[in-house]
Amino acid sequence: MRLLLIITMALASCGILFAEDYSIDFEIPEEDEEKEKGLEWSGYLDSRYFVFHTDQSSPLYQLQFFGKDDLSKHWSQYKLELYLDADYQTRDMGFHLKTYSAYYNDSDSGFDLFEAYGNVNLSLSSFIQAGKRRYNWGKGYAFNPVGYVNSYKDPENPELAQAGLLSMSFEKIKSLDSRVLKTVTLTAIIIPPDEVLNKRYAEIKDTDLAAKLYLLLLDIDFDIMSYYSRINPSRIGFDFATNIRENIEIHGELSHFRDESKNAIVESELATTKENGYSYLMGLRYLNQWRTTVIAEYYHNGIGLNEAEYGGYIDFAQSGVENSNPEKVLNYSRTYFRGANLMRDYFYLKITQPEPFNWLYFTPSMFTIYNLNDNSLLLAVSLSYKPFTNFEVMLWPTFIMGDEGTEFGSRQFDQRYELRMKVYY
Amino acid sequence: MIHPKRSLVGLLIITFAVANSFAEDANELLKKIDEKLTPESYEAYRKLINEEPDGSEKEFIFYTVKKGRDKVAMLYLSPASEKGRATLRLGENMWLYIPNVGKPIRITSMQSITGGIFNNADIMRVDYSAEYDPTILEQNDTEYVLELKAKSKSVAYDKLKMWATRKTLLVTKIECYSASGMLIKTLEFKEVKDFGGGVVRPSVVETHSPLNKGYRSIMIFAKMELRKFPDEVFTLNYLPKLGDLR
Repeated sequence: MRLLLIITMALASCGILFAEDYSIDFEIPEEDEEKEKGLEWSGYLDSRYFVFHTDQSSPLYQLQFFGKDDLSKHWSQYKLELYLDADYQTRDMGFHLKTYSAYYNDSDSGFDLFEAYGNVNLSLSSFIQAGKRRYNWGKGYAFNPVGYVNSYKDPENPELAQAGLLSMSFEKIKSLDSRVLKTVTLTAIIIPPDEVLNKRYAEIKDTDLAAKLYLLLLDIDFDIMSYYSRINPSRIGFDFATNIRENIEIHGELSHFRDESKNAIVESELATTKENGYSYLMGLRYLNQWRTTVIAEYYHNGIGLNEAEYGGYIDFAQSGVENSNPEKVLNYSRTYFRGANLMRDYFYLKITQPEPFNWLYFTPSMFTIYNLNDNSLLLAVSLSYKPFTNFEVMLWPTFIMGDEGTEFGSRQFDQRYELRMKVYY
Repeated sequence: MIHPKRSLVGLLIITFAVANSFAEDANELLKKIDEKLTPESYEAYRKLINEEPDGSEKEFIFYTVKKGRDKVAMLYLSPASEKGRATLRLGENMWLYIPNVGKPIRITSMQSITGGIFNNADIMRVDYSAEYDPTILEQNDTEYVLELKAKSKSVAYDKLKMWATRKTLLVTKIECYSASGMLIKTLEFKEVKDFGGGVVRPSVVETHSPLNKGYRSIMIFAKMELRKFPDEVFTLNYLPKLGDLR
């Protein structure tokens, strides 16, 4: 139960309204019984109904649904997702829990612990956090080549909550009284090894380390980050972001990787090579006088497949179907060719127009992810309507286009229509 | 005999000195107006109401902290769909932290994180003297009228016209203009209230715009209290922890 402290102002005692018909009274979520305990619950329920149009000529479709030849082209899916968060926070310490539950039907549902970590505020400028926690490094909206400790990010829905990383971190902030360098922040993260013995133990020498130094330098956000590991690829990079006008922001990221594994199919077998190279991103946000927001980003994935290599992978998938041996190919596909950006060069564009033609609470947006290597693309339109506080309904059609053998053209579905309803609490 | 060259130099010096003293007067006046409007370091609760042409409203409640002339941080307390969002302004730099996104992103002064007529520069306002160079346009027995010219292009409005009472130095109205001279919006400051601690200022700011006919936005201040904060509170890494200050 939440008790609210009522701030009573001059006219409050008699509940007088202004002639302008609003009240200067308002209730502030304040210190109350729950707050004394430091416990707060929040989250949202997301009901999603999908209609898919399948591309039955796609080798990836034929692999995934091998032997099921009598299926129609139109499928549906109903999915219920519950995000439930609990936060216990005092001025000095706290505990944070973020859970995710997905429900398809009574026989298929799941629960994930996205985050569960404790924090200690050593002072107003030094903090320790330990547990499973999500990080989000990098300035890019859809892609983050310097996101060394980030959760997997889906460029089709970059703002979707994702599972965190088991880690311990230390943060130290220092503000400086200078016009040139205003803030310095150091973040250091210790990440326990993935490879465990008997599901519980790990060799201490396999512990990974990550660090980020943030500088607010000449009104430019500037981060230098590195990731050190004996097992995983070591990486170093930087990012920046700044406003060049009152309505234009630019940002960029550059990452250098060493010994990063690149998987390709060579003569119908998996060939893994260790590569050194660079990934980078350049982007901008622009807002015009009609409140139209444009986000544009170019992303180069230095470890991505070129057109011939991706074609080799699709040929391999096709051969799995033709030889009636989908298991091996499916296994490779799920293990070594997962993810949304398998190739090298992408262009992302998102345009959002809140309340066009004075249609209240209605926000349409359009985004596209264009694969510059094979000219395939994904085009989506999101129509969001928020008629009430804490409620949102959304229609989200997605069209996936490309020739056979291209990254988007080889997806299992070529159209997807999503109807979504969110209720916050 | 009067030397013409010396006379001209003397005249220029006098003109410059007079102009400079007027500029100093205007700067001092604007600083005093700033001091009256916002204490040097404080915390406050604000409610923002966006009224739509159909009569419907959207409301937000914020916890705000400010330090110095140009450091402001703000936490959304309600509605639930926005709760936990936080914004930071350091001079002309602005960021928005969204809990689901998990990192601060840069925003611009012309954007509006809440929709409605108030833009980010209005909601996270820093001292006018930090962003504008003033000149006194008019003064009479009851009020001053100042013209404020933006110090740089990244400031939200190119020019402001400000009305303030002569006796109390409290702002009563501000008109905001674009570089082309177009009136973008008008802010009206109402309902002077004693918040305690010597803070007496308007508790309501209303705005409307000829560009958005039928819309109105209102900002209501409550519980403004003087409070000191370390500079580190006004940093990106502190944004997710802003609620710990309450």
